[in-house]
Amino acid sequence: MMVLEIIEYIIRLILSPPIFAPIIYPGLVTVLVILLSIIWVERKIAAKVQLRYGPLYVSKPIGGALQMLADATRFFFQEIIVPRDADSIAFLIAPAASLVLPLLPIVFVPAAPSFVAISVEYSLPLVLAISALTPIVIIVMAWAANNKFTIIGGIREAFMVIAYELSLFISALAMAIFYGTLNLEDIVSMQKSLPGVILNPLAAITFFVAMVMATSRLPFDIVEGEQEIVAGPFTEYTGILYGLVMGAGYVQLYILCLVFVELFLSGWYPYIGLLGEIYPALGGVSLFIKAYLLMVFIVFLRSVYGRYRLDQAISIGWKSLLPLSLASVFLSLGLLAAGVVI
Amino acid sequence: MSILSSVKRHIDAISTGLKYLFASSRMTVRYPEYSITLRDNYRGMIRYYKDKCISCSLCARICPADAIKMYRKAGEKKMYPGINYQRCIFCGFCVSICPADALEHTPVHDIAWESLEEMIFPPEEFGREWVSPALEEGARRVKAVFDEKRGLTHVPE
Ligand code: SF4
Ligand code: SF4
Repeated sequence: MMVLEIIEYIIRLILSPPIFAPIIYPGLVTVLVILLSIIWVERKIAAKVQLRYGPLYVSKPIGGALQMLADATRFFFQEIIVPRDADSIAFLIAPAASLVLPLLPIVFVPAAPSFVAISVEYSLPLVLAISALTPIVIIVMAWAANNKFTIIGGIREAFMVIAYELSLFISALAMAIFYGTLNLEDIVSMQKSLPGVILNPLAAITFFVAMVMATSRLPFDIVEGEQEIVAGPFTEYTGILYGLVMGAGYVQLYILCLVFVELFLSGWYPYIGLLGEIYPALGGVSLFIKAYLLMVFIVFLRSVYGRYRLDQAISIGWKSLLPLSLASVFLSLGLLAAGVVI
Repeated sequence: MSILSSVKRHIDAISTGLKYLFASSRMTVRYPEYSITLRDNYRGMIRYYKDKCISCSLCARICPADAIKMYRKAGEKKMYPGINYQRCIFCGFCVSICPADALEHTPVHDIAWESLEEMIFPPEEFGREWVSPALEEGARRVKAVFDEKRGLTHVPE
């Protein structure tokens, strides 16, 4: 009897949102699955566009889908080399921080109606603010490795932040102004019938481009610039440390995609009530599907674009994105003044 | 105007990418399972016929990469060529210049060695016959054809 009660208690504990959300969905476990699958998808798409096969020979019947598992295993068994002149403590801590920091906002991102680990009134700015901390870790990383490629990469990261950050926040706030709330859950619930992208396409475009910049995806992978500066701030990392820093970019991409879907693509609507009765988070599965498709589209861009130069990216940030994001704020105000109500 | 045209260019780029993503055209030959049949006059591994050789040393002299060296066995007067595949660039000069037709290209190129020493072939071994390891293990032969629409493709023979 006692044992049954304990098991029941543990299951209830795991299934309670404050535990389930950060650990299982949309948190850690989901992130791991995404990491293992999206990199494979990215490589497969790039290969297909370039008339190749991509990963194939690891698990051939399923098109090499286990390649990432094989790579991750390899990362674990590779030697970790700390350069002699590196600041070893910062060098070792930064990769872990670079993975944890982008993952942290997940506790504030609702995955289904009233399904969130920590419910706060200001979840939108909180999520954006925490994910805006990542560049600091990357700069620390670049400095700690004490290598000219990493320093150049770190400086590029600092420059990129000034290119996208303002526009990212302003375009997100444009939606907040329109919906009159900073709470992601309320923002989603107001998009039940009409997604935000139709009401304010300017904000959506700006947020999208700024998001691609923030996550260093092509055409803005200026920080890593592998043909120019090896791997930018990540040059000196080996083994699992490299695995961590490589994964960090995708984690940030995932979080920002979730935010994008909740701001512009009506989040977890259409809500699947049948699944929702089994477990509340399951009903919001369309949020995950939309975010995943968005990620697939962003990684697909890799095979379309070449890399912008740093100065081009900054001028896109200031000359196009910033005016567009300001225009999106005025669009929101105009819609409010015109009396558009959801 | 410039904004419109740049938007159009972005859309063009993305739609071209999508077109390639869904079009069925791959150039890759999955090598160990498939093997491209090379032309008969392909400049592959070189085969040497010692019985035809007149020991003129022209091959060793013309070789631009210094890959061919003349070997003399103790007690013998004549010298015979041997090859070092570390150096050979498969230019075919030696084959062209040989007055006795003692050298010949074979349409085999997929040979690999485990050490540098194994790449040196003295006259006795220079005459060996080359077989593609992939074909030996039963690779299916394909040949390259140029398709107007799909570009370079490979069809089974
Ligand atoms: S093919 Fe050219 S490089 Fe090779 S052995 Fe003959 S002459 Fe020398
Ligand atoms: S050129 Fe021909 S005949 Fe002369 S040494 Fe070389 S292989 Fe022999």
